[in-house]
Amino acid sequence: MKDKQFWSVAGIIFVLFMIYWVAGHPFFVTERGVMFWSILIVGGVLIYSTRMAKRGEEIILRSIPGLKAVEEAVGRSTEMGKPVLYVPGIMDMDQVETVAGVVVLGHVAKMTARYETSLNVPVSRAIVMKAARESCRESYLMEGRPDLFHDDMVHYLTDDQFAYAAGVNGIMLREEPAACLYMGKFYAESLLLAETGNSIGAIQIAGTASPSQIPFFVTACDYTLIGEEFFAASAYLSQEPELIGGVKGQDYLKILAIGVMILGTIFNFFHDLGWTSWDFLAYLTVQ
Amino acid sequence: MFMKRQLPIAIAATIGFLTLFGWFVDEPHIKSFVDDDATQWFDILASFAMFLGALNLLKMQAIKVIRKQKGWPYAALAILGFTFSFTAGFILLGSYNVEISQYDDPAKVATVLASEINLDEKSAENILIAMPEGDTYIIDTPYFTKSGADNVVEQINAAGGTANMRATEWGSHISTRGSLFNWMFRFIFTPLSATMFALLAFFVASASYRAFKIRNFEATLLLISGIIIMLGRVPIGGHISAWFILYIVVLALSAGVNTWFKNRTYTLASVVGGVLLVTIAGFIMGWPVDQPAIFYLPVLQDWIYNNPNVAGARAIMIGIGLGIFATSIRYILGIEKSYIGE
Amino acid sequence: MEKFLDFIVRAGSLDRRYIFIVIALVVILPLFFPLGLPIRPTSSSQDVYNTVEKLEAGDKALVSFEYGPSTKPEIHPMAVALLRHLFQKDVKVYITCLWPDGQFMAMEALEQVADNQYNKVYGEDYVLLGYRPGAEAIIKGLVSNIRKVYTVDSRGDFLDDIPMMVDVNQVADFDFLFSASAGYPGTVEWVQYAADPVGITMSTGTTSIQVNEVMPYVQSGQIQGILGGMPGAAEYESLIGQAGIGTSGMDAQSVAHLVIVGFIIFGNISFFVERRRSKKY
Repeated sequence: MKDKQFWSVAGIIFVLFMIYWVAGHPFFVTERGVMFWSILIVGGVLIYSTRMAKRGEEIILRSIPGLKAVEEAVGRSTEMGKPVLYVPGIMDMDQVETVAGVVVLGHVAKMTARYETSLNVPVSRAIVMKAARESCRESYLMEGRPDLFHDDMVHYLTDDQFAYAAGVNGIMLREEPAACLYMGKFYAESLLLAETGNSIGAIQIAGTASPSQIPFFVTACDYTLIGEEFFAASAYLSQEPELIGGVKGQDYLKILAIGVMILGTIFNFFHDLGWTSWDFLAYLTVQ
Repeated sequence: MFMKRQLPIAIAATIGFLTLFGWFVDEPHIKSFVDDDATQWFDILASFAMFLGALNLLKMQAIKVIRKQKGWPYAALAILGFTFSFTAGFILLGSYNVEISQYDDPAKVATVLASEINLDEKSAENILIAMPEGDTYIIDTPYFTKSGADNVVEQINAAGGTANMRATEWGSHISTRGSLFNWMFRFIFTPLSATMFALLAFFVASASYRAFKIRNFEATLLLISGIIIMLGRVPIGGHISAWFILYIVVLALSAGVNTWFKNRTYTLASVVGGVLLVTIAGFIMGWPVDQPAIFYLPVLQDWIYNNPNVAGARAIMIGIGLGIFATSIRYILGIEKSYIGE
Repeated sequence: MEKFLDFIVRAGSLDRRYIFIVIALVVILPLFFPLGLPIRPTSSSQDVYNTVEKLEAGDKALVSFEYGPSTKPEIHPMAVALLRHLFQKDVKVYITCLWPDGQFMAMEALEQVADNQYNKVYGEDYVLLGYRPGAEAIIKGLVSNIRKVYTVDSRGDFLDDIPMMVDVNQVADFDFLFSASAGYPGTVEWVQYAADPVGITMSTGTTSIQVNEVMPYVQSGQIQGILGGMPGAAEYESLIGQAGIGTSGMDAQSVAHLVIVGFIIFGNISFFVERRRSKKY
């Protein structure tokens, strides 16, 4: 969207909203006002940084070893003549991590298409199977290698957590992929997968935002994308200005969050001492 | 083109905005959509999509069997397992109950009943006698097949009782104790799932052995906190005296002195001095197992769990929350289009 | 001495199958030859116990089963122990399941405790509402109106025909909420959509690995205590004075942890010897 268009639309929305607010904001849940303004501020910061990046602002992303290693991993598989195994997590497309995993799969599929390496993507949910197939198909098409793509590259195993882990382990032991990528939402099966991958000597790169599984991946994998690094993967791999701008926006928001935490601590301290009657924590608590 | 590109983005944006801002709207229909319908629409979609997955699975395994590819017996086993569960869930009811409503001679009926409920005849007879007038006795465990239940009904009727067969309702047969599906769940699925989860114990051991090496400061910290948590969390940790830990600390500090100063005299002095200090303190205090508390493993474990662990977890959660919001906003605004293959 | 150091270096890259055999032995043997190590309850388990102790006869407790066969060894013992505690105090127990497997787990626990041990009457002392798909939607539904989500219970009986469902219409009508959870949906969703908005007293039991994620909610006071994995179950069993599977598993877990620590220390010794040798050469 061009600048003029963007500001026109934003202006119209703002005016409409002000009219609604002044008119008594009917149907609005006032108790959740803090959350509403927070969403607007957060969204505004992200949109601003995205637009600044699109305008050509130079943004430096620190290097993330795990993402740099993805291309190396695919290259290694090509040299050894072995497939790449990609596991997009065990949850469905209603989880943001799974969607992020499918997005990264698209980038990995471009690499496998380029290097003519075979790609194996066992999935745990039928909807993920369809989405992942579309993502891979598009990637192979963009690389000019639609002949290398086949539907069974992305195949369904089972919905059950440990049956899925058993299935993937079986694939690892039989096909011995040279690279195993785990990108998505995982639960207890993470260590089962990572240890089996380790036993076959594969290079392993994991990315997840599941806090309890990060330690297992860190222990057993060669590279791990922790939390936000995983969400930034799509920006990092595509190098698209819009996406990189979003990553910078997240950093701004973190500074904002730290500021709120410090302010909150100070105000809470004053409130506990009785120097102010305003309870900052109660104000921030969402009902 | 419109159907593949603009329409999906428009749907994602509309539903995304509606769900996001619907939370702030106090209107019953919107609230109902946001609270109930939105998530249930997805569940309905996912349930129907399951057929796609199942068909894909069957196709892949069948190709393996037909072409006798490597590992085809396992593929045959997978198809067999699928067929069995499908049959137990959708085709065979697998749950037929036998009800006894009357009897002429309880002793005769008890001879049949006893073998069905694995009790002696006297106990079976007492059960029948204790049955209130007008009530029915239902044999606890249902029968997998209709003929099996009918067979028992015939035997009871021949023994002078009045019995009939009642089939469990479709739907309830899944959770009815003793039904075919329940049997499959309890004796096949449950042990298999528990076994896979149990593998974690072995893998944790091998992963720890391989990965917990003192390569640098962070790895050392990870190692020490891991050992404290592992031992402090279990009963055996409570039996390890705080004084034992104190002695280990003295030795570790002496190793540090040695690394820093590289002087044998200093090292010896720190070891001897430290050990003497700890020993004297121990004698004075009477060697209580849980004092000094700061070196008692369960207390240390509690502190690590509740303080640095939670602080780290919170920081990661905040970062992840921001990441999720940023990623979701990109999908809603149509900035990120990879999920539709663009 | 050289030979000994050689052995240590070789043992550092031990085939992991030897580790597996040792772990198998140290887990199996204590099950046959129990050590009887006394269990010391932690503050978080004590908090759960104290919260349940405050309940009185006739109070209503909503217990949610969100685990399956794979996590049964960790969570089932605590679910059984909790049910024992609740039935001991004659608390009315209402059971819901957000996982399909949870219903089977609940049936097993109820058969063991309610039917075989305490002779409780279905419909008067406890009711199994059963599983409903929908995760957070079910929790939100229960918060607003139970009958929107459940018209019948797991046996197919209408809720209005069940004596103990009289005057029970939403989550706020309960006195206590307990989530026995192994993942999603589970404890976090109950806190976010039920316990915190409604203000109902809540405790939880989770797998050991999930304690990290849930601890912030415990520390903020939104959850009263947490039972963490099998150790948590064993601690709760010791508090209620009825040993169960949790307690019997703790000997094996204790010895296994000790052995793993031993392996780690040995691995590091081997690492140091190898590093020293490579520096020397």
